[in-house]
Formats: sequence, C-alpha cells, structure tokens
Amino acid sequence: MSTRTLPRLLQSPAVLLLLVWMLVPLGMTLYFSFIRYVLNSLRRPEWTKPSLSNWRGFGNYEFVMNSKDFWFAIQNSLFIVCSILFATVILGILIAILINKAFPGQGIVRVLLISPFFVMPAVNAVLWINMILDPVLGLNGLAVAGINDLIANLQNAPLVGGFFSLWPEFEPISFRATQTSAYAVIMMVTWQWTPFAVLIFMTSLQSEDQQQKEAAVLDGAGVWSQFRFLTLPHLGRPIAIVVMIQAIFHLSLYAEIEIVSRGNGNKNLPYLIGEFANNNIGAASATGIFAVILANIVAIFLLRMVGKTLME
Amino acid sequence: MGRIVLDKVSKKFGDVEVIPPLDLTIEDGEFAVFVGPSGCGKSTLLRLIAGLEEVTSGDVIIDEEVATQVPPSKRGLAMVFQSYALYPHMSVRKNIAFPLRMAKVDAAEQERRIDAAAKALNLTDYLDRRPGQLSGGQRQRVAIGRAIVRDPSAFLFDEPLSNLDAALRVGMRLEISEMHERLQTTMIYVTHDQIEAMTMADKIVVLQAGVIEQVGSPLELYNTPCNRFVAGFIGSPTMNFLEGDEAAKLGAHSIGVRPEHVAISTTDGAWKATVGVAEHLGSDTFLYVHPTDGGEAMTVRVDGEFSARHGDTVYLTPKAEKIHRFDAVGLRIT
Ligand SMILES: Nc1ncnc2c1ncn2[C@@H]1O[C@H](COP(=O)(O)OP(=O)(O)OP(=O)(O)O)[C@@H](O)[C@H]1O
Ligand SMILES: [Mg+2]
Repeated sequence: MSTRTLPRLLQSPAVLLLLVWMLVPLGMTLYFSFIRYVLNSLRRPEWTKPSLSNWRGFGNYEFVMNSKDFWFAIQNSLFIVCSILFATVILGILIAILINKAFPGQGIVRVLLISPFFVMPAVNAVLWINMILDPVLGLNGLAVAGINDLIANLQNAPLVGGFFSLWPEFEPISFRATQTSAYAVIMMVTWQWTPFAVLIFMTSLQSEDQQQKEAAVLDGAGVWSQFRFLTLPHLGRPIAIVVMIQAIFHLSLYAEIEIVSRGNGNKNLPYLIGEFANNNIGAASATGIFAVILANIVAIFLLRMVGKTLME
Repeated sequence: MGRIVLDKVSKKFGDVEVIPPLDLTIEDGEFAVFVGPSGCGKSTLLRLIAGLEEVTSGDVIIDEEVATQVPPSKRGLAMVFQSYALYPHMSVRKNIAFPLRMAKVDAAEQERRIDAAAKALNLTDYLDRRPGQLSGGQRQRVAIGRAIVRDPSAFLFDEPLSNLDAALRVGMRLEISEMHERLQTTMIYVTHDQIEAMTMADKIVVLQAGVIEQVGSPLELYNTPCNRFVAGFIGSPTMNFLEGDEAAKLGAHSIGVRPEHVAISTTDGAWKATVGVAEHLGSDTFLYVHPTDGGEAMTVRVDGEFSARHGDTVYLTPKAEKIHRFDAVGLRIT
C-alpha cells in the first residue's frame, strides 16, 4: 500500500457523504425539471408519479420562462439583493468606524448593535410590518399622524399659520402595497444583517496598522484620503466576504416576502418556486435550476466587481 | 533649511511624565542620533517633533517658527518607521508617489521625482511590485524613497534598520550616511545600536528616562563622558568601573577604564586576575577576567594574537591618562 492510499481511504467516507449530500438533491431537481410531474391531476393521473416516460425535455423551462412572473421575479430578486448589499455594506462600514474608537459604554453598545442578528427572520418581518411600517398602528402611521397634528396646530398659530396652511396633509406609506412591499423587505433585512457586516468590518478595522495611518498623516493625507487609500483597501477582503455570504442568503429570502405581502408585487425566485410547488413540481424544479444559475452568476459578478474596485 | 529647537518640551501620558521639560537644538544639516536604553523616550521625542504626539508643555520650533500647533503634515518633516509602514495595497511607485499625490503635485513632476528617487535607491526594477513582494532591505529603501520625494526640511528615522540582518544593516547604514552627505538635510535618527550612533552621528544625544544625559560628538562622548551613565552606555564592550580603594587612591568615588585601555601581561602589572571567558573575534579578543582580590569582573580587549585560557593568571595595567574619575553621584571629576 503506498503512503497515499491510506489517507485517501480514510477521507473517502466524508467525501462520499458530501457528494451524496450535494449531488442527490441537485440530481433529483435536474431530473424533475425534465419530466412532467404534478402533485394532483384528475385529467392526467400518470403525471403524478415521477417517471422517465413523462419526459418533457426543456418544456418545463419554456413554460417557466413564459410564465408571467418569471422575469419579474429575477429582476426583483436582483433588486432586493443588490439594495440590501449596498445598504448593509455602507451602513456596516460607517457604524464599524464609528464604534471602533474607544468610548464609555462601548461593550454594551456593541452587544446591542449585534442583537438584531439573533432575531428569527419571520419574527423580524412580523415585528417590522406590524409595529414599525404599519400605516395605522405602526411607527410609520403614528409618526405621520403626529406630523399632521403638529401642522394642523401650527396652521392656527399667529404669524406662521399662513405658511403652514399651504402644506398638504401627509399620507402614511402602506408597505403592503404592490409598489412598496419590496422596500419593506429591503428595510427589514438590512436592519437584520447590518450587524453581521459591522461585526466583520470591526474585526478587520482592529487589525489595521496604526503606523501606516501615521505615515499617511505625515504624507499629508486627510481623513478622507486615509479612509479611501488605506482603510477601504484594507476592508476589501471583508467586504467581499460580506457581499458573498449575503448574496447567497438573500437570493433565497422567503419568510419576509410571504409575511409582508404574500408575494403581491414582490416575488423572487424562491417565492416563485414555492408557488409552482403547490402543484407543478416539474416547473418548480426548472425554476430551481434557474435559481442555481442566477446565484452563480451573481456570485462571480460580485466577486469580480469587489475585487477590482477595491484592490486598485 | 531644517533647524529644530525643543524649548522646555515635556510629555505626560496620563499621570506618567515620560519626558520632563527638555531643551535641545539640532542645527540645520546636522545628523543627530538619539540613543538610550529601551523605554527612555526616544521614540516619544521623535513623535513630538513630528507632531504625532502633542506636547504637554513647551514648544517645538522648526526653522525659527513655533510649530507646536502646526499639524504634522504641515511641518515639512518626513519620517521613516521601524516597521516601514508602507501602504500594502499600492505598488512601490504609488507608495513613493503618495505624498506627492496628496500635495497635488502635477503628474509629470511626480514622474520625474519618483524616477530620481528610484534611481538613487536602486528601486527602478521594483517600481511595479507590491511591498509584500520585496525583501526587508528593499522595503526600507521604499520607505526612504517615500520620505525623499517630498523634499522635507528634516528626516526623522525611528530605528529604521533594526529589522534587518547584520550585513544589510551595515550596507543601509552607509547608504543613509551617504544620502546625508549628498542632501545635507537635517536628520534625526533614533537607535539603540552603539555602532550606528558612533559611525553616523554628527551629534549624539544620550537619553535616560526622558532626561538628556549628554549631547556631543561621538568622540566627545567617548573621550569625556560627563557621567557614569554615559560612560557605561557609549563604547562597546562597556567600560569597567571600580569602586573602593582603587578609586580612593585617585581621589574619586569610582573610576572607569575602557577595555581597550588596559594593558595586559603574563608577568607583571598593577592588578592580578584570572581569566574567565575569552571571546575570540579574530582581530581582537575580549577577556572577561576576575581580579584575585575579589573585585568586580572586568573586560579587557587584547590583540587577537594574545593567547589566554580559562584559569590563566594575568596582570592588568590601566593607562593612567585614560582613567575616568567619577564622584559619589556619578558625575565626572575633571
Ligand atoms: N501611548 C502611550 N501611552 C502611555 N505610555 C506610553 C505611550 N507611548 C509610550 N509610552 C511610555 O513612554 C515611555 C517611552 O516610550 P518610547 O516608545 O519613547 O521608548 P523608546 O525609547 O522609543 O524605547 P525603545 O527603544 O524600546 O523603542 C515608555 O515607558 C512607554 O511605556
Ligand atoms: Mg522606540
């Protein structure tokens, strides 16, 4: 037995397990996506059993691509993911820099900042949509009502009353509506995931070389130049990590979308899969394959972009 | 121009006074070296001059102008750090260009100055590499290049060579000295290496616990140290000190004699001693000897030819005119 064989032999169970773990679901999805397979059909009962005799070729894919929500779902998935990434990275960097300086109560502030991350996504969505964004009972409604009251009072005031009577009455925004439900999801997920970004950026900031900063100060770099030329490149890798991990997580958002508007005006690919999977497993599987492809494209594209812009 | 004056400068970190009020003048074009034991405040003093630390009291005066409130970037000084502090994400070219870019120097002029600096420092072939792809010596040269292009009124070096191996250190030492000859710019150089201090300096400033013990040329410090601390600190191996009867005979509390100022003989001399360890350096041999009367061990520098083994008896005679005498508080008696 050569020296290589034994280690290989010992590794093989783990490797096999992983292969099975990954390949079986992927293989089954691929298989289902090429056959006609539905859960219920009175007209064609033979389609309710997965079988090669129900082969449909690329029929499911065509069906999915021609369904009215597919392109919208892709576009919306990308919109939601990119908005969340953009917001969490920027907020994450700002907050991390802010709390990186020593100040009294730093420990407590850090724990508080991290805490949104420990809220379950569904709970997060319920809290946000009912307590904050609700146009009547939520903070949103209360704040707008308060502003309207204030304006109404000011309209009766002497002197400035004339000016304020020109103001309209404000309407609270309904975040369950078709046009706004995506923003609601973006807000709540951003709130939940910013701590993750903060945590990673903060660790990275603490390993930043202080002498480089001093050298830059002597070289005449101001606060902005130091940030742009030293801190930001230093954060390049952590930003890439945050972007990658979040992109993968947020492409599969489901609970928030379901809770905010049941997909009304705001579908993404997983939600579409869920809708198809009510009956048409073949179409759901084809959508799943599209989702895998999309995730890969997004990951590669984002990595390239982050790598290029930050590493000069 | 680069005349730097410290006027009663002091520095406290919290309640700890690291540097009590201190006066020092460094003339334009001078090569001044700060030496002293670890933790004595050399780096702090340098950072006060650079403006990286704020003085607690007193003034830093650069070219006759009070610079105490001037921000570091406006003082016209360049600093080279022990850890090089190169910008890891930029190429060598961009590293060297950084101060020029910050000063909004136009592109053609930047190019010209970078090329000149790269040529002077032998960096032309490495301009497109990242600092991580350079050796320690090359990184140090990039750090110096970044300092040179700004055309500063003074250079500040904080132990720039201590991360380099011995051979490279000698090379860089010569390069820095040569650079000083060429540019004639004020340089302040912090080191704890004796040899660097002795070979490079026009003026050595010996510090202990934030206090200046003596300021002078290398030979002044070597020949006429003003107290026991300086006498022991300058010179390698360190001076031998004797107290008690021997010192009293010369009317002093203690006397000091350098290892190279003791004559040795196998037959007769003033003091009898047995040889402990002998360190053979080739040209010289350092003998660590124990006086037979039970006094402190002494170091003697003898010719490399002299053969002595452990346990041999030798006789030592100090050169009378090279004996330094100190009083009870350690000050030199002249
Ligand atoms: N930021 C700081 N806060 C508190 N104390 C400091 C600070 N920086 C330096 N010190 C103290 O000031 C003293 C002088 O430090 P400094 O770094 O100037 O020493 P040094 O002479 O450069 O030593 P070395 O040769 O080891 O570099 C030390 O006792 C150190 O502990
Ligand atoms: Mg130091």
